[in-house]
Amino acid sequence: MKMRRALLLVLCISLWAGPPARPEETPAKPAAVPFKLLPTRHITVQITINGKGPYRVVFDTGSPFSLISSKVAKEAGLSAKGGSSLLGLNLFGSIEPVKARSLKLGAVSAENVPFLVMDHPTVEAMASAFGPIDGILGFPFFARYRMTLDYQSEQMTFVPNGYEPTDILQALMNSLMSQNKAEPRLLAPLGLWGFSVEKEGQDEAPGVILSKVLAGGPAALAGLQVGDRLLILDDRWTDSVADCYAAATVIAPGTEVRGIVRRHGKEMEIKIRPVAGL
Amino acid sequence: MTPLLAVPSFLLLLVAAPPAESPKPAAKPYLVPYRLTNTNHVLVRAKINGKGPYNFILDTGAPALFVVPAVCEKLGIKADKSTWGRIDSFELEGRVPLKDVRVRVEKPFQLEGMNGLGLAGVELHGIIGYPVLARFRIEFDFTKQKMSWLPLQFQPPDPHPLGASANPPGMDVMVSVLKVLGGLLGKQAEAPVILRGFWGVVLEDGADGVVVKTLLDGGPAATAGLQPGDRIVKIAANNVKNLDALQKQAAKSAADADLELSIVRGGANRTIHLRTIKGL
Repeated sequence: MKMRRALLLVLCISLWAGPPARPEETPAKPAAVPFKLLPTRHITVQITINGKGPYRVVFDTGSPFSLISSKVAKEAGLSAKGGSSLLGLNLFGSIEPVKARSLKLGAVSAENVPFLVMDHPTVEAMASAFGPIDGILGFPFFARYRMTLDYQSEQMTFVPNGYEPTDILQALMNSLMSQNKAEPRLLAPLGLWGFSVEKEGQDEAPGVILSKVLAGGPAALAGLQVGDRLLILDDRWTDSVADCYAAATVIAPGTEVRGIVRRHGKEMEIKIRPVAGL
Repeated sequence: MTPLLAVPSFLLLLVAAPPAESPKPAAKPYLVPYRLTNTNHVLVRAKINGKGPYNFILDTGAPALFVVPAVCEKLGIKADKSTWGRIDSFELEGRVPLKDVRVRVEKPFQLEGMNGLGLAGVELHGIIGYPVLARFRIEFDFTKQKMSWLPLQFQPPDPHPLGASANPPGMDVMVSVLKVLGGLLGKQAEAPVILRGFWGVVLEDGADGVVVKTLLDGGPAATAGLQPGDRIVKIAANNVKNLDALQKQAAKSAADADLELSIVRGGANRTIHLRTIKGL
């Protein structure tokens, strides 16, 4: 219960709901940002926050949050409450959600960038081995851009893409606190394809078998036949019935896509265009 | 206890890594389908020695390709004493072939925590880290459905270990506690799926709503007696003003659902009963 109470408190101070502002002032051309690799091959970059810094942070595609050390948070004026910890719980810092008014990463400028104030032990361990490291730049930052990552030239590029990352802290808290089992994942094809597929439980071979192809539908027009084994649809493996639906949930009606089927032991490519309908 | 939520979601790992092998050069980028998990991790799928697919997270914070022991055991992949193994073929969805890849046979506490609590909404089987990522110029763009992976002629140097002390203290114990909590709450790693039911009808947006264009022979809509030109105005009690709204309503029903449709045909209102089937 103690844990859940503590979690609930975290829930209550989750203040960064609402859409993040789009990055501004960043040129439409890709902004190149050089990075440096630590001996552990972690990517580090230099950022300034609210005009302070530069600070060295780890760039991490595997982090759903961006983190900043309590020291830098204080220095850059990030802590709205003056850096007070949560009921004296200060194991990894206050874990307070804050927003950087401005953040600069090389030629990239962004506004209202969310961080959690947290002294992550792994970051601290790296800092003690390799010199100051003050946080992690994660998903909430890089998701706003079309980003390329190139270890060979030790460079990233950024172009704003209008994507607005969702605040998952809230959703994760809800999920954690909820008594419910996982919310089902609804797979609704965007278009009408005109076939059905099946797969027996003991069938572990790639692909699914077409059990129905409706006359006049897109599948029939594409030359698909009952008994064909659909292996790939629009670059996606269709190794289960659910996989097949999952592929169809992202293909808009009217879009021609390629697929691979196996018929009488031979693989062949098909082109198929779903239509509006269901 | 406060940081317990945040910590299992971070994938910042420190281990020693042996050499990776260089891929064959290719002129154009591979298009790699991905999805975002509920934890906003970038998930791609891969087949190991032709089996799978398995779910992997892309993580520049990981110094190796990690595959959980359960999968390695199933596939007969042996690990040495320091938990390193080798797999003959690692193929990413989008037909990205990687051969003879070193793999760390291990379940990092982050994966354990996320799977145990069902946080990601999908069961995670491993993490793709630096030795694989560094062999491509990778484009991330969450407004697109696929990533772009351009192979580089580059043999990435090995990471150096930082040492075991880098792992957060007591994390394994915390994760065990979380797993018990997740178990008590009935959390599953993989969310169940609902597959939308099939109608067999081609539709278009008309001036006053959704109009039936054609019917597929033998489909539920034809069986139910819908006709070209019919205007669908309601599903059960829900008004559907356009195709988008109709799709959203229809998406709530799987196969074998009985739906009551209100339609307008030749100026007259009618009710049609349609039973969905499997299909797409």
